[in-house]
Amino acid sequence: MAQKTRGYVDTSAFIALLDRSDSYHSSFRRLFSDPPALTTSALVIAEGHGWFLRRYDQRRAVSFLSFIQEVPVRIVGFDEAELEKTITYVKKFADQKLTLADAHGLALMKANHISNCWSTDRRLAVTGATLIC
Amino acid sequence: MIRTQVSLDQQEYALAKKEAKALGISVAEFVRRAVRDRLPISKEPPWMRYAGMVESGDPHSSASIDEIVYGSKD
Repeated sequence: MAQKTRGYVDTSAFIALLDRSDSYHSSFRRLFSDPPALTTSALVIAEGHGWFLRRYDQRRAVSFLSFIQEVPVRIVGFDEAELEKTITYVKKFADQKLTLADAHGLALMKANHISNCWSTDRRLAVTGATLIC
Repeated sequence: MIRTQVSLDQQEYALAKKEAKALGISVAEFVRRAVRDRLPISKEPPWMRYAGMVESGDPHSSASIDEIVYGSKD
């Protein structure tokens, strides 16, 4: 049996799964139904929570956090060492208007040798990662 | 289809009615969807019950994250 390729999960993948109106919803529904080992950034969780808070309300933002507690994804924290690695990407790709969450994703993919990025955001492919969506 | 009666408090009913109107569906359909969303789907892992928990009406929803979270620059 072919081994599933582990992936990094960007905020856009979570939103596409959770919003049934999104054009990538079916695709991420299939992907998250039988996921490989997944990694994400604590900043992605903050972005996702912020999206639900601003677009909807506290109740849905809490539901997002409940979902995160259940979905099998390794969440990497954002401390001083991670900030240092991330800043490199922010500076290197200054023309791409990367958010700190985007840049941390690039740093994590590099550090963990992850080549697949679950995202609908093309900026996450700037270092050569394959976008899965 | 089975007909059943559900009691909601006034605030819940008002919110359900508002949400249903926004989605262009009846309150009954809204309640049916809410029930469907909470029921476990066979063979799907438990976290998948959150899939499609909102319906923004925007097919480009996942592309609007920066705009929503950080705001757009003038």
